[in-house]
Amino acid sequence: MELLPLSTEQLSKLAASNVPPSQLFEVLSQYEAEACLIPAEGDSSQTDNSGLELLSLFYSSFFLTHLLTDQIPEARALTKRMPETLRNKDPSLQNCLTLLRAVWQTQHDQVYQILRRLPWPEALQRLVQRYESMDLFLPAIFQSSTDISSIGFFQDKSLVALSHSYEAIRPATAAGYLGLDQKAAENGDPNIITKFIGCGWTWDPETQLLHPKPIAVPSPHNQTTNGIREAMAMLGNRAG
Amino acid sequence: MTLISDLVSASAHLHSTTDLSDEDHDHRIRDCVAYFRQLSSTKALSSVADDETLLDHFDPSADSIAYLFILRVQIQTSQERTSEKLPTNLRPMGKLWSRAVRFLKKFDNIHIRYAGQEWRQLIEVVAQDHLRYFLYGAMVYMALKQWRKSSHFLEVVISMPTTSVVSMVMVEAYKKWVLVGLLEKGKLCSPPGITSPHVVKMYQSLARPYITLAHTFERGDMSRLRAEVDAAGEVWCMDNNLGLVSQVVNAFYRHTVVRLGRTFAALTVADLAKQALPPSTSKEVAESTIASLIMSGALNATLLHPPNHVGPTMLRFTAMPSFPRLSDEVDMQVQLKGEQQSLETLMGHLVESNHHLGLSDEYVEYVHKGQGWVNSGDVNLTEEDGFDMDEDIMGDP
Repeated sequence: MELLPLSTEQLSKLAASNVPPSQLFEVLSQYEAEACLIPAEGDSSQTDNSGLELLSLFYSSFFLTHLLTDQIPEARALTKRMPETLRNKDPSLQNCLTLLRAVWQTQHDQVYQILRRLPWPEALQRLVQRYESMDLFLPAIFQSSTDISSIGFFQDKSLVALSHSYEAIRPATAAGYLGLDQKAAENGDPNIITKFIGCGWTWDPETQLLHPKPIAVPSPHNQTTNGIREAMAMLGNRAG
Repeated sequence: MTLISDLVSASAHLHSTTDLSDEDHDHRIRDCVAYFRQLSSTKALSSVADDETLLDHFDPSADSIAYLFILRVQIQTSQERTSEKLPTNLRPMGKLWSRAVRFLKKFDNIHIRYAGQEWRQLIEVVAQDHLRYFLYGAMVYMALKQWRKSSHFLEVVISMPTTSVVSMVMVEAYKKWVLVGLLEKGKLCSPPGITSPHVVKMYQSLARPYITLAHTFERGDMSRLRAEVDAAGEVWCMDNNLGLVSQVVNAFYRHTVVRLGRTFAALTVADLAKQALPPSTSKEVAESTIASLIMSGALNATLLHPPNHVGPTMLRFTAMPSFPRLSDEVDMQVQLKGEQQSLETLMGHLVESNHHLGLSDEYVEYVHKGQGWVNSGDVNLTEEDGFDMDEDIMGDP
């Protein structure tokens, strides 16, 4: 894919697209060297702050893409590479840092609050939504287990982890991990219970407990077929 | 200019020595080394130390001795001119670094045996950078929490062969290695087998607070561990290891919980919190901490809430990861399916390639030659040799 010049428009377009996270990560990685050359020291006497806006958008979207590809330590390393002055005053980057802290400490409720309540710039809204969830409780996500790109979104990831961690769980606790209404779940809201049942979990009305069914997802580190793929590519070229 | 031509001609004496006897060859090399040593001692070479293109006149394999002496002078001059430990041009990708690497790849080992002292000095400069590379690489892995890879990089540094003393870089690596071992395995690991015992003793005496910390960690006493961390606070700060040490304290809880799993089949969360978590931990925090450990894969266990909110939450330990086994099976299934698809596509491509190759000029030429052999009687490709494709040899008899 030909790399277009780094610009706010280009970044907004990428952030709003449905490009798979791994591809998005590849594209944004290539922009980092260029971003490093943009001066981050804003001059208040100048009205043109386009450079700072561009940097803010770049680093915020790159940060969110790290999360989307489940690279938490790398996301932390990225926050160290952001220009310090910008990192300390830019609201979007400040949101990223708060989000990182919550993700790092596995504070699920805080993560949902940060994603839903903090003011994220319009250009990042789609990425923020994608990180929170795509279509939670759609069993199709888990049935099409080859769709690795869907794994890594916070809600989906939490659902998978939860299904392995509990043999029996109260609906309110499960709802808390998934950013659902805990009060409603505690009162046995049938909508919430149905969603869990839709994932293969069972509901025991007598004990008031959900019994999760472990959700299996393929490992993203599937490298065994790389050799064959390379051979295929070579043969494909040869045959062509 | 005269000096350069003198140097070139002195080195050229060693170029065509195949006709010389071993004795004469030996004399020539000795004379050449003596000549360059004299130039070095009289500082005559210093006058050309700034000439960056000087080494272009010499081939590192044919003019190994001249190359080594000039490179050494250039490195010394560069080091003298800066207050930095390592001048920029001596760092990887720097001009002198590249020259040194080029020399070390190509030098004539017979010639260089006569200039062992100078060669060793050059190696020491490069080896320091080699160690730094692995130390910094390990630090990158630490930032990414990839403890195993980090540990491997540090082991490369600490097991570096050394004659008598260890360098500061190696001691620094050893200190970090002790901490990384606690983070990864929860114990003080044994150094790599190739590390000589006297070097290990040196490390242990130079990194005593780290060894004490590791022993306290292994004993499983949290209050003593905290006391050790506080007592040597200045040491951790001075060594820039405070961050790692604070992670070690957190890892202590994790390893204590994991250790309990080796003794008990199941425990209530309250009991486990009493034994393995800080005293002030509430039930909710304890459960969420344990759930995080399970979710991260650090602990093989499952949690069970009690029916109707009556009774304690239980933690059931599993000897092997019970749920990942299911995941692994599904993973394997997915991989096999992928592999099957790949192979099918591969077969398709092979058939297609065969077809294309069958139409190529090279193949036609080959067939033509084959026919020639058949005609000449050298090679007799007949139906008996298995070339009759009409017969289905795999079919039922």
